[in-house]
Amino acid sequence: MSTENSRDDKDAQTPSDFSRREVLLTLGGLGAAVGGGAATWGGLELMVNSRQTIDSWNKAVCRFCGTGCGVMVGMKDGRVADVRGDELAHNKGVICIKGSMLPELTRIKGRLTSPKIRKAGKLMDASWDEAMGLVAAKFSESIQQFGPDSVAFYGSGQLFTEESYTANKLFKAGIRTNNVDGNPRLCMASATTGYVSTFGKDEPPGCYADADHAQCFFLMGSNAYECHQPIFERIRQRKRLNPDTVIVCVDPRRTKTAEHSDIHLPVIPGTDLLLLNSMAFVIFSEGLQDQRFIDKHVLFSNGEHIVDQAALVQFLQSYAPESVEHELGVSAADIRRVAYLFAKSPATMSLWTMGVNQRTQGTFLNNMLNGLHLITGQIGRPGATPFSLTGQPNACGGVRDTGALSHALPNGRLVANPQHRLEMEKIWNVPEGTISDKPGFDAVNLFRAMEDGRVKAALIMCTNPGASLPAAARYNAAMGKCFTVVSDVVEDSETQRHAQVVLPAALWIEKEGVTGQGERRYQFTPKLLDPPGQARSDLQILADLAVRLGHDKLITARTPQAVWDEWREVSSHSLYNFKGITYERLAKERGLQWPCPTEDHPGTARRYVEGVDPFVTKGTGMEFYGNYNYDKKALVYLRPYVPSPEKTSAEYPLYLTTGRVLEQFHTGTLTDRIAELHQATGNAMFDLNPQDARMLGVNPGDYIEVKSKYGSVIGKARTTEVSRLGVIFAAFYDAKLLINRAVADNYDPTSKQPEYKVTAVSVKRMTA
Amino acid sequence: MNFDFLQIVMVLGTLLCVLGVILCIRTAGTRFDQIEAGDKDVNLGVAHVPALAFAKLMAFASLIVLPAGAVFLANYHTFEGVHEVRGCAGCHVMLPMANDMKDPKSGTLAARHYKNRWIAENQCYHCHSDYGLSGNLEAKMTGFRHLARYTTRTYHEPIHARVRFDNQNCLNCHAGTPRFEAVQSHKTAHEKLVSNLMICLNCHGQAHPTSVQRTPGSDDYARLTEKLK
Repeated sequence: MSTENSRDDKDAQTPSDFSRREVLLTLGGLGAAVGGGAATWGGLELMVNSRQTIDSWNKAVCRFCGTGCGVMVGMKDGRVADVRGDELAHNKGVICIKGSMLPELTRIKGRLTSPKIRKAGKLMDASWDEAMGLVAAKFSESIQQFGPDSVAFYGSGQLFTEESYTANKLFKAGIRTNNVDGNPRLCMASATTGYVSTFGKDEPPGCYADADHAQCFFLMGSNAYECHQPIFERIRQRKRLNPDTVIVCVDPRRTKTAEHSDIHLPVIPGTDLLLLNSMAFVIFSEGLQDQRFIDKHVLFSNGEHIVDQAALVQFLQSYAPESVEHELGVSAADIRRVAYLFAKSPATMSLWTMGVNQRTQGTFLNNMLNGLHLITGQIGRPGATPFSLTGQPNACGGVRDTGALSHALPNGRLVANPQHRLEMEKIWNVPEGTISDKPGFDAVNLFRAMEDGRVKAALIMCTNPGASLPAAARYNAAMGKCFTVVSDVVEDSETQRHAQVVLPAALWIEKEGVTGQGERRYQFTPKLLDPPGQARSDLQILADLAVRLGHDKLITARTPQAVWDEWREVSSHSLYNFKGITYERLAKERGLQWPCPTEDHPGTARRYVEGVDPFVTKGTGMEFYGNYNYDKKALVYLRPYVPSPEKTSAEYPLYLTTGRVLEQFHTGTLTDRIAELHQATGNAMFDLNPQDARMLGVNPGDYIEVKSKYGSVIGKARTTEVSRLGVIFAAFYDAKLLINRAVADNYDPTSKQPEYKVTAVSVKRMTA
Repeated sequence: MNFDFLQIVMVLGTLLCVLGVILCIRTAGTRFDQIEAGDKDVNLGVAHVPALAFAKLMAFASLIVLPAGAVFLANYHTFEGVHEVRGCAGCHVMLPMANDMKDPKSGTLAARHYKNRWIAENQCYHCHSDYGLSGNLEAKMTGFRHLARYTTRTYHEPIHARVRFDNQNCLNCHAGTPRFEAVQSHKTAHEKLVSNLMICLNCHGQAHPTSVQRTPGSDDYARLTEKLK
């Protein structure tokens, strides 16, 4: 019975003992569970931290086109590990394939790492001191012997603003020559002359956000789908969310942009001023104009003096759709339809670029595009704006705004205007009369001046004119006749073949600075990497040259921030005023649009609009204050259509036109070195309409010789419906094809911008 | 279908729990030492089981089988339940994503995939398919971390993804389609896409509301954090 007893004992003790143990066990278990959970959580937090593939995300700006997308650069162990669209920037996180490849840009092969001097025909490594000493000696010698106008600066819309500003100041107020021009002359000079003659001030009045409000998009001479992809994506987004939105594309080619448009008007190259004038004719003859807006804000001009509206209407009589349709290549019905859509849409946004600017009638086309907006009142409201897209990341901010062009001075001033020169002499604190009253050489004429010896020495920075100038063979030879100094990021550019001195430059985030994109927005790019080898920023090179040429007292600001502070102070003496855009703000904010006069000003999205633009008089609603000589009204011009000098003929029966492709930027010096981009495009070819190909006896894959008055180019042909009948296309990124050898160098008499888009050519199939 | 199945799982799980509790109570009240060899067998209809064996079976069921089954069903329900949009939207921080997705006026990728019926159901899971019962370990760990943060309120809005989004979620549907293949750079940058060195969103836009929109006090915050209808 012992078992009985022990069981009884147990029974007697169990209730209290067991429950205590149970409580402890339960508590212990719970504690262990919580502890285990907490430990797991802690471990996971540590692990997440240790497994991050990025050390820091840094706000920057894309290196490539004029859209100027905000990007976030992800750094890991001192390398660029990732680049993403900045969701908080104007581009709302969207970038393109080129921007997505920015990490690769920092690792491209063939970077220039040492200064070089040409010795016995070969570029040989040299020290900075040796190279810059030679440059300074040659420049000084030329200035002393032949005067300041014997030297020149040829810059770029890809330099930082601080760099272009410094070059402009050094040459115009230091060396005393206005021979300061650059590749922006080749891409947006006509937009500038167009805006200035219409509104009195350069730069678009609207902003990218207008694309979120427009109901009618009028894209002319713009392949935004490929060239400004994030902007076209924004347009498509507008269409997705508002299916009533209409996209009109005017382009001789059925580009990707045309493909994604509702209406495509495939005009014959060089004739589209007929379209704009004809639309204006329809607008007035059908009473589609906004008469109230015209009466309040618009004056008419024939280019010499003010005329009345009746004179414009009279002028337009010869542009009835039915009389222009044949020469234009677009039906009268389409012209009338588009004119109606343009005028009567709740908000019309025009977007144009090189198809309009790179034309002998570039200024007139710009005038007429702006004019259509003015006569229909399609301006100053969200979505209603004439918007010239720009091609380079800093053509607007760096070159147009700083006036780093041969005819210009900072903030919209002109060399030819004595008052403007005087103002700048005061601001720059140089003696009266320092700035030459003679406008310098524009791009084409600068290279012609090298050709005939008027310009003896030139500094070329951040651009590749050897591949980008029209009639390229002629101007390549011209560079060979001059003491050419080339500051570049890569070896072996076409331009360097003619250089006497080559200077290695820093690229993108290897230096810091400000860029101003197409909508007057200044954005900051920080320095995140060191340049390779001995490469330096272009600002360092310019400051060095200034000191060596004895202008150290003029060029006192030699760091990006010091230059920027000087520059924003300069701007405060103008209607560009962006004194409120400080480096501190730029580091924090996603860019700022000028005017922005004070540090608490939010920036100006829509110019000339009361309540938004600080310079508009209260109570006016809208005021084109740039035209203070014209009662602050905008000007609509009577601009006659003049056929391009490159009319097709029996000898040259086809039109050659050139352009970009999505994956490549400019002459491909950067993008074509990135494997993914190079492979995506391959080598450039000629695009022929299949009907043309058949008539010419050309089969896809055949080599053809494309010949113009300016030169001939041999390349591979392919057939595509993208090309309009009678139009042959080649992209200009490929230096191996170097299509610009065949492109005409006619230029607009006002803007001096060459007409890349229209060249009459003959095509011959090459026999094997 | 999925929804119905999950309901069945939930009912089944609840039943198991109730049954488990009843059995536990019964087991707790059973004096195993008082069950004598001579006690009556339990008639299970098909077989007669000795009373002690039956009691042990009941104990095994109540302590091991039923809890294990309940845990499995609960896990299954949790992991599979979060495939549903409302499962995700159960957490406050996910409401902006869900509300935006269901907003016909929104142009985010999520909203476009939703309103165009490109994805008919379980829209969140479709593009974030690394979680769920069969998902990878990383997603489980991330999920655990999120759960810990959320329940202890140790998070800050707007939330930021710290793991890389897997492009495979996009490529699963888009790769191989004619429109996808027509883009040359999709092919030449294939390596970068599959290894997530380049995100699809760079070119194709925002997937969800921006961090600014998701910040408390923003213009959109109240609208984006409304309870899901």
